[in-house]
Amino acid sequence: MAHVKTTGTSLITSVRVDETLGAVIATLKGEIDLHNSPAVRTTLLELLAKHQPKKLVLNLSQVPYMDSSAIAVLVESLQRIRKFGGKIYLTDLQPRVKGLLEIARLNSIFGICKDEAEALAQ
Amino acid sequence: MTSPTTSISSARWETTSDPSNLAPLRKNIESFCLVHGLDQSGADNMGLCFNEAMANVTRHAYAGRIDQPVVIAITGSNVGVTLTIRDWGNGIDPGLETAKPKDPLIPGGLGLICMRELLDDARFDPQPDGMMLTMVRNKPGNSTASK
Repeated sequence: MAHVKTTGTSLITSVRVDETLGAVIATLKGEIDLHNSPAVRTTLLELLAKHQPKKLVLNLSQVPYMDSSAIAVLVESLQRIRKFGGKIYLTDLQPRVKGLLEIARLNSIFGICKDEAEALAQ
Repeated sequence: MTSPTTSISSARWETTSDPSNLAPLRKNIESFCLVHGLDQSGADNMGLCFNEAMANVTRHAYAGRIDQPVVIAITGSNVGVTLTIRDWGNGIDPGLETAKPKDPLIPGGLGLICMRELLDDARFDPQPDGMMLTMVRNKPGNSTASK
């Protein structure tokens, strides 16, 4: 599994590429709101354009909070990955993030997994 | 972010529409809510709705300008917490009453849905030169919010 140097935002702290599974696994860290969601958007869209993965796994274990601007970034990323048949999996959700996804009725649209291993096994 | 003017049961911030103010102000508001009798869920939800309202002020009322004035006031009472956000933007009422569950894959409107579902009251009062938003979250036992 290759590790990829990230650009654009320090909120995405690591990126790994599993070419066998066609997966990109990214770990995010910090609260995401309108102030920093544009940088997250830039990095995620760059990753999708570069790797065109079948799976984008976002480990959110270190994201205690996000707002609707972050949700919009996730939705845009989902629409982008669907163009080449991919899917986004969100793992290790913290309660506030899980609650917002439920309000947005997105909890059944993304793959929600308890951890990265479960996401990669899907 | 400017320093707050604080008394025992109220606080006021004169700030700007810069999104870099969002997180520190939200945390102050959540702390105020906890001190004034809301439970963790109530404080979290008031914080989220504040975040969404401020983001709407920046994006819509001020069309993305980040140097415009915003005045925030919060008051605690024996019933709950009331938060107001005053802006001097375009004064357009976003239509909270008509916010409906939407296609989740179409962006926009989530903030209004949060206000409607997570608060006991939220109302937009157009001003001659902008907008005043009032949000109320009651203490546990008095709250009728869905979460």
